[in-house]
Amino acid sequence: MLRFLREHPHAPIYRNESGNRLTAADLERVRAFEREVLAADVGWRAGEEPSWIQAVIEKCYGDVPFYRRLGAPPHRLADVPAISRADLGRDIAQFVPDSAPVDRLINFRTSGTTGHPLLLASHPVVAASYLAFHKRALRRLGIELRHGRGQVGVVLLGHQRECFTYVSVTPTMGESGLAKVNLHERDWRDSNDRGKYLAALDPEVIAGDPISFAELLSIRPSVRPRALLCTSMALSVALRGALEEYFKCPVLDLYSLNEAGPVAVFDERAGGHVLLQHRMFVELLDGDGARVVPGERGEITLTGGFNFCLPLLRYRTGDYASLRLDAGEPVLIDLAGRPPVRFRTMRGEWINNIEVTHAFRHFPLAQFVLHQNVDGALRLRLPESFRDDADVHEALLALFGANQLVEIERVRDFGGKVVQYTSDVPGAQP
Amino acid sequence: MSNRLSREGPPLASLLHRLADTPVDFLAEPCIRGAGQVHVDAVVGDLLTSLGVAATARDLERFAGRGTGDRNMLAVTLLLCWVLADSWFASAAPAQADLQRLLSDGASELAAATAARRFVDDPDRREELVRVTLAAIGCRPAGESEAQAEDRLTSLSAAERARVVEAARAAELRARQIREALRKRVAEESADKWTRE
Repeated sequence: MLRFLREHPHAPIYRNESGNRLTAADLERVRAFEREVLAADVGWRAGEEPSWIQAVIEKCYGDVPFYRRLGAPPHRLADVPAISRADLGRDIAQFVPDSAPVDRLINFRTSGTTGHPLLLASHPVVAASYLAFHKRALRRLGIELRHGRGQVGVVLLGHQRECFTYVSVTPTMGESGLAKVNLHERDWRDSNDRGKYLAALDPEVIAGDPISFAELLSIRPSVRPRALLCTSMALSVALRGALEEYFKCPVLDLYSLNEAGPVAVFDERAGGHVLLQHRMFVELLDGDGARVVPGERGEITLTGGFNFCLPLLRYRTGDYASLRLDAGEPVLIDLAGRPPVRFRTMRGEWINNIEVTHAFRHFPLAQFVLHQNVDGALRLRLPESFRDDADVHEALLALFGANQLVEIERVRDFGGKVVQYTSDVPGAQP
Repeated sequence: MSNRLSREGPPLASLLHRLADTPVDFLAEPCIRGAGQVHVDAVVGDLLTSLGVAATARDLERFAGRGTGDRNMLAVTLLLCWVLADSWFASAAPAQADLQRLLSDGASELAAATAARRFVDDPDRREELVRVTLAAIGCRPAGESEAQAEDRLTSLSAAERARVVEAARAAELRARQIREALRKRVAEESADKWTRE
């Protein structure tokens, strides 16, 4: 399978290598977890917290350095201090339990769409367990995955100048193929190969974000996936409709975070995103850290999760919604995800906002905001304390072109989470 | 050897039992910024009044909790209040300055190394807290000489400090190993999941 994926005459240039790194014992664990996920009820009763919460609090206060320093475990979740991305960013090691095996750690690098990139601790079993939640989400639409040995299960799409690309296999699906592909033309010997390659792979599922899916539509490949999984950024109704019409299959809009994995999936019948994880509790907090009145919007705050290398206690995601309990099933209403933005370069091409994140990766910027005016000029807002203006300016010129206009503005306080990328240029939001 | 433990106090065992039987109200979550259940400043105020000490609002300010970093210190302060509420202390008429130093600086020093709950559950830490309380007001347990009391307190504290130093060293080593492991190329290249955020 790996040779087929790599050596196909229309294959792209794969720039990286990856593997599932699962042991036989891991595989058993992943399979057992999948059975548990598919059989579990997700939810709690109004005004109550799930019974497992106290055990998670006690485990964290005993096993996680950050919490151990706070003293004895509180008896109520509300007495646990909420944390945010900034806390994880200060030193991720403080949030990794002592019981997590250092020699098997892997990292999840955040996309940086809404902040500076982060390295998060994870484990091969955690990465492999994503599929259990995808299957649960697909099952809501009556889809049971049926591919197996010799077939391609999933193609993950990116559309970026620089993208992590590789081929792999999924052991729990009979070693079926997995390909992470960049649709950007620079990763292909001939841009027409993109459609031909995807058609040859004929994956049962295609995963991507709105920007890569918009590019996929423009290629119009002859593939018939049974579902599209959309993550990372808010999916517009128009793009969703166009994708469903072309591919004749449902598009699952997943609310997924590197910090927590797949949290929820949009279900039109439920009127919002239904939660997927049976060991994940969601609170909605106001600006002062208090729970909002039922029905009101608040910041989605997560406790629990399946990443045993990064258990979450009251993790403020920076995303907002209201919460409704439908017969005990929690539904996130009007989830405000991360809006996708693409920027127009001086060469007239579109680039994904993630390109800017990558270009800025090495700068010690806790926060910044980039806006593109309708005339193409860029306005970059930087923290007052940041000194390397010239380097940042140069990085933008390298990305956008030497003639790019860039105005830099100093900001004393961004006032919490910001919408990092915005644009007035028509077509900036696919 | 100093003569700071010149007065004889109550039997050690009676205060150890008292601490071991701390009621749940004194183990509850300290109020900090609106969260929590026990207003430690009010508890300290009540205790000082019962010991015949007049505390101003400013004296009590530090027990109101400025942030989550104060949580363990306030929890230890609650335990000290429970021990000091034993009837023996009212008869001993401790000095106001000694009490305030114990409840603030003393609590901070104890809390810096040890989770409050351990002062109830762990026999050595229980004994340390009781001896620190007595020493703060110039007393030693009944039946002990000054030298015996000093030696025992020093030995308990030194053992705890050694444990804390070793734990901190091990924690820093592990944190460094985690940071290094996550930065390795192989860690990046094995995040093999079906969707990317």
